[in-house]
Amino acid sequence: MLEPFTLPFVQRALIEVLILAVGAGLLGTWIVLRGIAFYAHGVGTASFPGLVLAEGLGFAAALGALGTAGIFAIGVTALHGRRRTGYDSLTALVLVGCLAIGVILASDVFRSGASIETLLFGSLLLISWQDVAIAAAATVCAVAGSLVLGHRWMAAGFDPESATALGLRSKVPEFVLLALIALATVSALSAVGALLATALFVVPAATTRLWTSRMRSWQISTVALVAVEATAGLWLSVKTDAPPGATIGVLAGVVFAAAALTRALPNQLRRHAPVAASLALLAIVGIGCGSSDAGSNAAASGSAAPIVVVAATTQIGDLVTVVGGSEVKASTILKPNSDPHDYEPRPSDVQATADAKLVFVNGDNLDAWMEKIVNESGSDAKTIDLSLGLPVKLPGESEGAGASKFDPHWWHDPTNAEAAVLEIRDSLVAVDPSAKSSFDANADAYLRKLAVLKASITACIEKIPSADRKLVTDHDAFNYFATAFGIELIGAIIPSQATQAAPSAGDLAQLSKLIESENVKAVFPESSLSPKLADAIAQQTGATSKYTLYADTLGAAGSTATTYLTMMAANADAVVRGLSGGRQSCSIAGL
Amino acid sequence: MADGIHVAAALGWLTDPWSQPIMVRAFVEVALLGVVGGALGCWIVFYELSYGAESLAHSIFPGLVIAALLGLPLLLGGALGVLVAAVAVFLAGRIEKIGRDTAVAVVVTSLFALGVLLALSPDSPPGISGLLFGDILGVTDSDLAMAAVLAIVVLVTLRLLHGRLLAVGFDRSSAKGLGISATIVDLVLLMLLALAILVAVQGLGNLLVVAVLVGPSATARLLTNRISSMMAVAVAVAVASGIGGLYLSYYAKIATGASIAGVMVAVYLLVALISGLRNRSAMTPNSATT
Amino acid sequence: MGARAVRLRGFEVARGARESVEKPTGGGASVATEPAPLAFTRDLSVGYGGPAVIVDVTFNISPGDRIGLLGPNGGGKSTLLRALLGDLAPSGGVINIDASVAALPQTERSRLDYPVSALDVALMGTLSRLPWWRRPGRAERRQALDALATVGLGDLALRTFGELSGGQRQRVLIARALVQDARLLLLDEPFSGLDAQTSERLMTLLDELASQGCGVIVATHDVEQVQRWDLVLCLNHHQIAFGPPATTLTSKVLEATYGGSIVTVPGDGDGPSRVILPPHHHDHG
Repeated sequence: MLEPFTLPFVQRALIEVLILAVGAGLLGTWIVLRGIAFYAHGVGTASFPGLVLAEGLGFAAALGALGTAGIFAIGVTALHGRRRTGYDSLTALVLVGCLAIGVILASDVFRSGASIETLLFGSLLLISWQDVAIAAAATVCAVAGSLVLGHRWMAAGFDPESATALGLRSKVPEFVLLALIALATVSALSAVGALLATALFVVPAATTRLWTSRMRSWQISTVALVAVEATAGLWLSVKTDAPPGATIGVLAGVVFAAAALTRALPNQLRRHAPVAASLALLAIVGIGCGSSDAGSNAAASGSAAPIVVVAATTQIGDLVTVVGGSEVKASTILKPNSDPHDYEPRPSDVQATADAKLVFVNGDNLDAWMEKIVNESGSDAKTIDLSLGLPVKLPGESEGAGASKFDPHWWHDPTNAEAAVLEIRDSLVAVDPSAKSSFDANADAYLRKLAVLKASITACIEKIPSADRKLVTDHDAFNYFATAFGIELIGAIIPSQATQAAPSAGDLAQLSKLIESENVKAVFPESSLSPKLADAIAQQTGATSKYTLYADTLGAAGSTATTYLTMMAANADAVVRGLSGGRQSCSIAGL
Repeated sequence: MADGIHVAAALGWLTDPWSQPIMVRAFVEVALLGVVGGALGCWIVFYELSYGAESLAHSIFPGLVIAALLGLPLLLGGALGVLVAAVAVFLAGRIEKIGRDTAVAVVVTSLFALGVLLALSPDSPPGISGLLFGDILGVTDSDLAMAAVLAIVVLVTLRLLHGRLLAVGFDRSSAKGLGISATIVDLVLLMLLALAILVAVQGLGNLLVVAVLVGPSATARLLTNRISSMMAVAVAVAVASGIGGLYLSYYAKIATGASIAGVMVAVYLLVALISGLRNRSAMTPNSATT
Repeated sequence: MGARAVRLRGFEVARGARESVEKPTGGGASVATEPAPLAFTRDLSVGYGGPAVIVDVTFNISPGDRIGLLGPNGGGKSTLLRALLGDLAPSGGVINIDASVAALPQTERSRLDYPVSALDVALMGTLSRLPWWRRPGRAERRQALDALATVGLGDLALRTFGELSGGQRQRVLIARALVQDARLLLLDEPFSGLDAQTSERLMTLLDELASQGCGVIVATHDVEQVQRWDLVLCLNHHQIAFGPPATTLTSKVLEATYGGSIVTVPGDGDGPSRVILPPHHHDHG
């Protein structure tokens, strides 16, 4: 039952949450007592511009986040002198200011890559020892601050009108409280992310508040509750293969709801609360033990077992599965179902990476987060960056120190896919030479299909008059496709790959004029993004936005684009239909 | 003659952005939601509900996922999600020791985490989180229609409840003596907020929704004392910031939502600075001995 | 009892002039009457940034004075107390405070739920003397316990504040004022919700403090209760009257204080009339 805690990355996660529990539990009581939950939530979210800057200028992300959080704390403290704006409105205003700056930095200054979102999200399973050290430092500061300044924090909340008379004129203790919360929240970002930090910092303290009437007992019970909830959530998440942050969040919410309901019950029913609590605990253990253990599947390795391989993206996963055949057990980290930006790895992903012999990544910054999974899972797998040996490389458009030199969407050119298939084949052979003949045969068969694909798409596109071969897409993902098949790229609606990035009215107006003057027939939304902007541009310019392209991932199960080949065929068909005004189509047989 | 040319150039500069239908739609949307934000936002600021304004949008997510899994219309699911969250915030906020802000944190954290877990289901359709947020430049006809309906609903409800909102906000404890139920007033206000967020988030995106609901009304609070004039000022500030932000985004090529939100925060800071300086000069020693 | 003597004798020691809000420029000479006042105001007006809530307030409080602050709800009583407390800056006129000030806040729901013991509350009084990075130590604890003993709550020091009775809570707050070495006590509706016996006990405590040289200002809307104090200040957005209750509380003054919303029952001669206020003035909280 306790086997999840034998996994090294789970052990590190446990150490992290137990350390965080002290700081988060302690500060949580002050957050709830002083009613500043919004601040606690906002200060983590506001680290966005700091992360963009850190990536753009090339310094440590933690530093960027801490810097912004510090500015946030100073901003709220400084503005709070104005009596006519309440603390909560101020927090909202400072937060909006920070986020607006972040969006502008990401959209118009650095045109950053997508790796920021993973930082905002965070995962308990990918904690580094550096993260643990930062959490420990934040916790020590929180304990020291509480011991020294607790009386002042308490008095200021008890009787704010008398604050001056009580000698609480100095703003320093209040600022220290906000700064400590900022430090602790930011230190928890890498573990639970900005949106779920409140699951550690607010919800448990609110739960214990229902049952305690004194500060000391409240603080102790909160620290204990955070530790218990986090440990149970971690255990449950490994057992059910769910993301730990969200599991802890739901668990904390359920415990709060149960506590609040119990309090609302009449006394004679409340006596049964311990029984109900034990039943609930049994249910949790039941859920955990009833589900298949995420860790054990991959760990069961015998001598004749297939090679365990991890692919970062869906299209690479497909190529690896095809080339490896039955000799390879391939896992794909990104699911076609989930947006890469709000993705928190599941325990099985981390476990698979830990057990893997080979890890294939896309490279060029598209999946920079994969490096973290490989490092923190304790994997000794060989990482193969498929972008390194490609015949066709186009320049990247991102700016800033963290930006990639090359456009990462190389797989949209089948010539590159051919090179990737060869690279995958050779890497697999190097690991298991005995299966060479099988890998060779699989790769050769697939290369023939790729040749068919390439020839067919070329033929389809050639039927479109060259004056009509003009492409406008949602974001800049189709350079390789356009270059490979002789299509002119007019522009893209979203100026950057970060989802927080947004276009400007000026850019869109320019693009609209371009679409009209170039007489572009179609604007293509993407399967994983909202089509609204593409629709609006289409409506304004008279182009169509009916046809959707698969840009960053394969289609979900049930769609027509579940493999690399069908995805490419679907894109070609959409492009042909769009550019020909629906008069032509492109169906490719033999895939 | 030269003046005429300058005037024409300036006019051209001013009118040029509005030759784009996208810009006109964006303006109509921001104006409609500016009216909602100005009127409702004053109560949001007065009742200290800014956290709810910022975070309730996240509770749309589990509603969308559940609706998708059950095959219900997505908008219905989103509406249920945010209304359930509003009721839960209201109930948790009634626990004396908890308070409104903590209640928002508890409810939104739990529901958002639930949404993340549910979205792991293989039956959940891809890109569902894309439904959650809009972009002011991608406003559709249905967004505009919903914003118009929302504006009417919000204005009518606020008009009907005006006296009660004022009485409860002024002194919660004495409201009961006046025969006013603070419970109903709180609940209705939270429902209006939930509704506004549901509609506005799809049109404006979350960042801009918070900005519209809090920025103009906090600015107006600095400028006037009366709630009715505060609403008028807030609406004016919201619409003016919307226009200013659109011009900024058009000519400086800055992300539109962020530029409107940034203008709203900048207006607040400017007004706070000026009124702070004015107060300080009013408190110099000589005035103390008049 | 010994503790109280020591503590209260402490009040006699002249403390350095502590100005909480504004030092008058040259105003001191004009008010140099024999017992130096603990605080005075001249043509004071206070507001919250907009138009002033109270105007033209002029009064003195000297050691030993007990002033009843009379006025309707919303008439500016709390605003005046907050100005005396230093929580609000005046928008005009002079306010001079030459004593340490302590306030007994109204008992609000949030305060009853606050997770503090009586001792914790009393300890808050020591914070003004400590630099912000120092936490209260053993000496401060002793002082707080002594003050609680002085108000007769020595054995309830560890009880949660919200679990105490209304009168006990008021006494805890007085203990906090004692720890603060306050010489000017501001009380906002301290008797609301207290039964007669408890009120009497609290009043006796206030009388004792006044006899030791403290100034006491009690805000109330209860005309009967205000008769007990040395002086009464009638306030309804502006100062209606200030003086001893017997001569000040005429029916004319009361009408000006409460507007038309009172019914006066004529008393004998010029003396204070019996006043019946509309019911909602009484149900406070």
